[in-house]
Amino acid sequence: MYSAPEAYPLDLPTFHSQISMPYTLTPGRAAGTFLAEMPNRRIVGSRFPDGKVVAPAQDFSPYNSDEPEALVQVPETGVLTAFTRVKGEVIGLIRLDGCDNEFPHKILADLGDLSVGQRVAAKWSDDDQGNSILAIAGFVPSADAPVGAVKDLADPAEPLGVIDYSMTLDYEHSYGPYYGRMFDEIREHGRVMGVRTSNGDDALLPPREVDDVTHKRTGTWKACADTGTIRACSIINMEVFGQTRQVPYVYAEIVLDGASTRMIHVVEIDDLETAKQKIKPGTRVRAIWTQGERKGSVADIERFEVIED
Amino acid sequence: MTQLRPAWDSAQHIDLISAVVTDVFKGTGLTLDDVDFIIDSGSDVLDGRSISNCGFLGALGAHHKEEARVEEDGLWGALYGVNKLRAGSSIGLIVAYTKPSESDISLYWSSMVEPFYQRPVGFNQHVALGIQAQRYLDASGIKDRDLADVVAKRWAAAAEGGQVAFDSIPDADAVLASGEGAAPLTELMISRPVDGAVAVLLSTEEIARRLGRPPVFITGMGTAMDTHSFAARGADKLQSVANASAMASAKAGWNAAEADVVEVSGSSVVGELLALEGIGVAKAGKGLDAALSDKVNRSGGALPADPVLATGLARLAAAADQLLQPQSAAAAPSRAVVHGTGGVAMQTNCVFTLEV
Repeated sequence: MYSAPEAYPLDLPTFHSQISMPYTLTPGRAAGTFLAEMPNRRIVGSRFPDGKVVAPAQDFSPYNSDEPEALVQVPETGVLTAFTRVKGEVIGLIRLDGCDNEFPHKILADLGDLSVGQRVAAKWSDDDQGNSILAIAGFVPSADAPVGAVKDLADPAEPLGVIDYSMTLDYEHSYGPYYGRMFDEIREHGRVMGVRTSNGDDALLPPREVDDVTHKRTGTWKACADTGTIRACSIINMEVFGQTRQVPYVYAEIVLDGASTRMIHVVEIDDLETAKQKIKPGTRVRAIWTQGERKGSVADIERFEVIED
Repeated sequence: MTQLRPAWDSAQHIDLISAVVTDVFKGTGLTLDDVDFIIDSGSDVLDGRSISNCGFLGALGAHHKEEARVEEDGLWGALYGVNKLRAGSSIGLIVAYTKPSESDISLYWSSMVEPFYQRPVGFNQHVALGIQAQRYLDASGIKDRDLADVVAKRWAAAAEGGQVAFDSIPDADAVLASGEGAAPLTELMISRPVDGAVAVLLSTEEIARRLGRPPVFITGMGTAMDTHSFAARGADKLQSVANASAMASAKAGWNAAEADVVEVSGSSVVGELLALEGIGVAKAGKGLDAALSDKVNRSGGALPADPVLATGLARLAAAADQLLQPQSAAAAPSRAVVHGTGGVAMQTNCVFTLEV
């Protein structure tokens, strides 16, 4: 038998989320020189004290971690040692003439025309003149290519310092039965519903099947008020990446009336001095809902405002 | 273990996790109060949030308990747990969870490869598995049809076990006709990512012997890692599996070839043969006969259902079940060997020996 969480047939789409990370990558001396030499149409390798030559260039030997004794210019010709095709694109491992290692690159040929051990030659890209390994568009079969030799690297280019890079990951998160109903209730009825703790009347927000503290089944559903009490807060007056509203505002952890857990939201303020006076743990607040159609999100509550005495 | 599904659309991570944590105690006489520590396995990249276990602590039952995350297959979580028991703890809970359906798992694999030379040219998990397969088939002389037979047998086994959700069960012809995955592998020759969660309880021998369910003993463990540079690894063998297996066998006092139950995690059908050869169930290039024997991957293994990061722990749970519920009294098994893997084209490997 297998375990299964409780599930309602809720007709909710998944929740789309995107993580986009900007990076500045540091290639180091060997890879930095390799990439800097791409516009010069030279392939840079590393020669190690034991005589082994590795390309593309590496700062450490993959065989014994030695540092290279010199960066060298390696030939544009070599041998195809293995290959595959994924989604129509052929990728192979190549051992360049005079080198001891193999590395992956694109193979610009039909799979049926390839065989392990055949001669290949680099084809430089017509489009990519930049500092990427893709300045080599790929390798093409070249049965008659003469065997090249490793040479000293004359006047090497300055290695690239850092390279701008980014990685974007998209997600479609499932709500699951409990978050699903909570957001459905917000959208359909404009109310915040949690489930009772396993051993009390106050509601957990967000709701879940198992109580975080007792790890027992949670109780029945309960609508919380849209008024509550601030239990922790911070006045935000600094702009940082990812903010969705203008500073200053108050980040607040609010316990809605009827709930036992804090929800994170914002309280808008006019000026810092008044906010410092009025907004603190214990301050009573009320939700201000957005006008128009609700989306089924915490953002359907536009903000909280202080309940004046 | 939850049912393993291509997509658990109706549940989020915490739902899957709390379901297995609740169920793992049934029949043992233990409760969460008895648990000293919790080790969990998952991936921030797959989960789409940083330090994702922080959001799952309540579901894990980790409130005010010692908790640690292993960003590797759950079998490494179990290894961590065993070492904690040996350091003086009494009872540990190991949980592994995964929802690859929520993102593009190829990006999870691509995030592991080197960004200057490998990622731009399209080198990734599938490419590495395809090249691994080409080299293995060249060296062993094994044919497509043989591979398809293994895959079909695995899907049939998983269907019989009832823990994996399917639309249909492919036969060998369907495996061969399933489209190119990474030449020479067809799509169905590569493990199918699925969502799910697995929980396992570990305790000292003294406690295990007193519980409501009969114990299975972990008698050996081993891990080893191969070089990150895929091209520099052995062309047609997984040396790190062999090293991990030797480490586990030395502790257990017997070899994997003597096991009655074998559960391995292959990222592809060739990866599975390489794992069988690596742990020592078959000689190099001769993994096929072992793969078709009835003691290997009776759960179906990773080909029909690969809950990435929970796959090895699922193998541990499956092997323990097979040791405790023999198919016939005459052939009661007493020894099992379990394998988990991680990284591009099975770079890192972990082997456990189990006994009853």
